[in-house]
Amino acid sequence: MSATAIRTAGLVVSLLYAASVVRVYIRQPATIPEVTGSLTASVGAYRVDRARFDAGLRFFRQDQFVEARDAFAQADPGRQDPTVQFYTAYSYLRQGWGRVYADDVLYRTGRATLDRARQVSPTGTIVVDDSNLKLHTAEELSAEFDRGLTREWSDLNPARLLRERP
Amino acid sequence: MSLESSLPLVESRELQRRIAASRDVPLGREVFTLPLLFITVAALGGVRVAADGTLAFAPPSVVALVLSVLLIAALVNSGALSPERLAGGARTGLENASGVVVLISLLLASAQILTLLTPPSGLLSFVFTSFLLLLLWNTLAVGPDRRQLLRSLSVVCGGCFLLKFVVLAAFYDPNGGLLRRVVIAVLEGVSLGSLGYVPDRPATAYLGFATLLIYFVGLVLLPGRQRSRNAS
Repeated sequence: MSATAIRTAGLVVSLLYAASVVRVYIRQPATIPEVTGSLTASVGAYRVDRARFDAGLRFFRQDQFVEARDAFAQADPGRQDPTVQFYTAYSYLRQGWGRVYADDVLYRTGRATLDRARQVSPTGTIVVDDSNLKLHTAEELSAEFDRGLTREWSDLNPARLLRERP
Repeated sequence: MSLESSLPLVESRELQRRIAASRDVPLGREVFTLPLLFITVAALGGVRVAADGTLAFAPPSVVALVLSVLLIAALVNSGALSPERLAGGARTGLENASGVVVLISLLLASAQILTLLTPPSGLLSFVFTSFLLLLLWNTLAVGPDRRQLLRSLSVVCGGCFLLKFVVLAAFYDPNGGLLRRVVIAVLEGVSLGSLGYVPDRPATAYLGFATLLIYFVGLVLLPGRQRSRNAS
């Protein structure tokens, strides 16, 4: 192999390595699985566990939200898949939703999960085509979290008791 | 009359080529070993494991970047780093590019090492930074040779590491370490409350120690100034 080829290969390897390190520093993963997930996602090698995701979906549709989040966490340990994270955020919304009031802690956690999911999404948004959901995009879900976390006079409207769960 | 001018033209060119070749950094070291070592140091130097086990990635502070420029100046001054062996008019564009990658990664690695060795904020950060600034300034003024500089750096970095990860960590140990109990017993009534510092988990110290070792391996492998062949 010629010296030029070796130098070129060295440059490419160094720059790719540096780019993956910069990506990790920007994403700020909080756990080791997230670090490895971020690194493997940077080279397009990250895959979710489909079986665990399907199990999470079954729990989600049966309103077993804690179990659903557990399965989603196993399916996407690096929190790199926008769709899985969208469902995780949605599970917080449904669990925290109430006709009279919303659970602020669950809504805030869901909002943080959604924000993180949008960061890892290449387009900055998420669209999920699922007929079981009322909200299909990250923007709709985000707005619903905002409505639940905002205190206003319309919260006292008795008609709110009749609204449907998102 | 110099040796080269006394030789026929062809032999003189051959001698120049041989001298230039002897100045070359080994190819694998320049394009793979040094950049990968220093990028690894830059990556690991910012990793902090908080008390609750979560990871954080601290980029180099601006002060650390400034100090790292001083550190590189000291490396060049002492002959531990010879920039003209990595970049210059005598090299091709591709050779210069790989040399510049080494220099930039060295700058970032040095900045991360200095960030690692200083507390993140508060009065203690100011004290550590002032200490490092004065030491580097003094090193530049003294002008040590390569071996002296590397020894001096190992003492400075080792001292800061011990102060931050052993002494300060023991002082601020929430479970009340032995050192904390001894100091409080000796200096009755002393409070460390005004010197805010939150120690990281011991994993940060272990990782920091490994990072320091890798950094020094990189410094030893840097292409240094070569002694003149005519020197006595």
